[in-house]
Amino acid sequence: MIKLINGFKSNFFKLGLIMLVFIIIFPFILPDQYVLYVLTTIFILSINAMSWNLLASSGQASLGHAAFFGLGAYGSILLANNFSLSPWFTIFLGPLIPAIMGLGVGLLVVRLREWFLAMVTFGFAVIVQTIIANPLSWLTNGWNGLRASSLIVLTPNLRFIVIYFIVLVAMLSVYFIIHKTFNSKFGLAITAIRDNELAANVSGISLIKYKLLVFIVSSYIAGFAGALEVHTISTFISPEIFSPLNSFWPLIFSISGGIGTTFGPILGTFLIRTFWEILREIGGFESMIIIGFILVLIVIFLPKGLLPILKKVINPQRS
Amino acid sequence: MVESTIIIQIILWGLVIGSIYSLLATGLNVIFGVMKIVNFAHGEIMIMGAYISFWFWSILNLNPYIAIIFSMLSLMMIGIVIERFGFRLIRNTSKLNEIFLSLGLIFIIQNGLGLAATPIRPVKIISPVQGMSLSLGIIDLPYDFMIIFLVAIGIMIVLYGFLFYTKIGKSLRAVSQNRVAAMLVGINASKVDMITFGIGSSLAAVAGSLFGMLNTFDPYTGTIPAIKAFAIIILGGLGSIPGALIGSIAYGVTESLGTFILGGAWRDAIAFALLIVVLIIRPKGLFGEGKV
Repeated sequence: MIKLINGFKSNFFKLGLIMLVFIIIFPFILPDQYVLYVLTTIFILSINAMSWNLLASSGQASLGHAAFFGLGAYGSILLANNFSLSPWFTIFLGPLIPAIMGLGVGLLVVRLREWFLAMVTFGFAVIVQTIIANPLSWLTNGWNGLRASSLIVLTPNLRFIVIYFIVLVAMLSVYFIIHKTFNSKFGLAITAIRDNELAANVSGISLIKYKLLVFIVSSYIAGFAGALEVHTISTFISPEIFSPLNSFWPLIFSISGGIGTTFGPILGTFLIRTFWEILREIGGFESMIIIGFILVLIVIFLPKGLLPILKKVINPQRS
Repeated sequence: MVESTIIIQIILWGLVIGSIYSLLATGLNVIFGVMKIVNFAHGEIMIMGAYISFWFWSILNLNPYIAIIFSMLSLMMIGIVIERFGFRLIRNTSKLNEIFLSLGLIFIIQNGLGLAATPIRPVKIISPVQGMSLSLGIIDLPYDFMIIFLVAIGIMIVLYGFLFYTKIGKSLRAVSQNRVAAMLVGINASKVDMITFGIGSSLAAVAGSLFGMLNTFDPYTGTIPAIKAFAIIILGGLGSIPGALIGSIAYGVTESLGTFILGGAWRDAIAFALLIVVLIIRPKGLFGEGKV
């Protein structure tokens, strides 16, 4: 324990604990519906960003993550509505659909790199949107969308607080799972693939196996985030969920926080989303232009994101 | 013989839209050939070109076909700025950074246009010969179709001449074949990059202006045509200009027929289905030697 406190990540660890305690007591200090709504959205978007980041850590940058996010949501809603299942059950069952789709897309793009993969995944989201909105409209109600049952039924004020904690627990669990994944053999294998495919391959790492696995896990988690979103915050879904913007957000969050790190996507989501909530006041176009410039500046000047800066501030003696 | 008339009209439309795609795809292809990057914001650059033509036409009452020249020049400047202060700064870093940078550009351009064109409504450039057509017995051939086709072919010929018979064009091809060797014989590769990006963007501006005469557009229209252009250069082979030309025509006709058979809602999905099929069956493209 002493070693842990004085050790490598001491300040970082302490700060993390303080933040966690603050987040837990926060709803009791300021039970404001709007603020809680924003924070809950941030938790869900962090889950999505973490799943994108996990995939990107294997060198596969998806531009169609909205497809997995949306399919998880549609899967969960359709199962809940048509088979009268509890949403508590379908938020875990629904994401199996994007996981299977992720396996399919993974098989398609396993030999492709960078741009080609980005295009195919982007196209996948467009195709999924077309299919959900048109040939499947008998099931999905097309562009008119579907209502989703809420995860819990309570008075609005209490509901916001309870949902806040449910989603917080979900986010922490996903964080913990991804943290474990990164430090496992699996995590080492996928980062080795990202850094040098050939070298990874000759060291005996099966490229196809790991690339497909990471695709499945990432799309499952993205689908879980989507299912969670529609059963807690929006309680409504339409094919709008597959819009390119929804594919781009997790990417922006991950890059600003620090791509390839565990905490980066959460940090990025918190900072960018909060900033965006404030920016929205000045107008839709202006705020998006600023977000665009932030993305460009981060890519050019801070390719490792904001996390290294945070670490430097907290632990000046180490780096 | 109503059926065959319709089919001919559809193929004609496919040829015209294909010639517009060929300009867009060639711009993307030239940039890829020389700089080895794919500018995902190419479609937004195209729509910026369309808007500049639109403003020259609607505010200054200029003939739209002459407005294209101004649009080309403006976009050449903008392209040079984007290369100098964007893509050059991330040269030799991770390939993924190019994707991320382009995304940032998409945000900036789309919303910048949105701001400039508020309130957003779909607009269209009306050419002076709009609605007039040459009657050829069973079919009517609109004058606009002919002009668009000729403009596209003309620009292709000029580009070809530039690449093969001018000193700058030759240095472009040299950098595209072997960057280091080109630098060794004294070619300023950074300057070539800037010129290339300018040319690519101005080709997109022509494509956008012509596109805007056939279709309505708004700041968000560009993304899908850019992806189609990408599908086309993969179909035709990365870095191959004749490949892009044939690919565009083939794609335009396929899209036109596919939309007629399957219905309009499928138009964009067709592009991606084709892209995915080509990538799986022949990732090098039909004519190309590029490496995926």
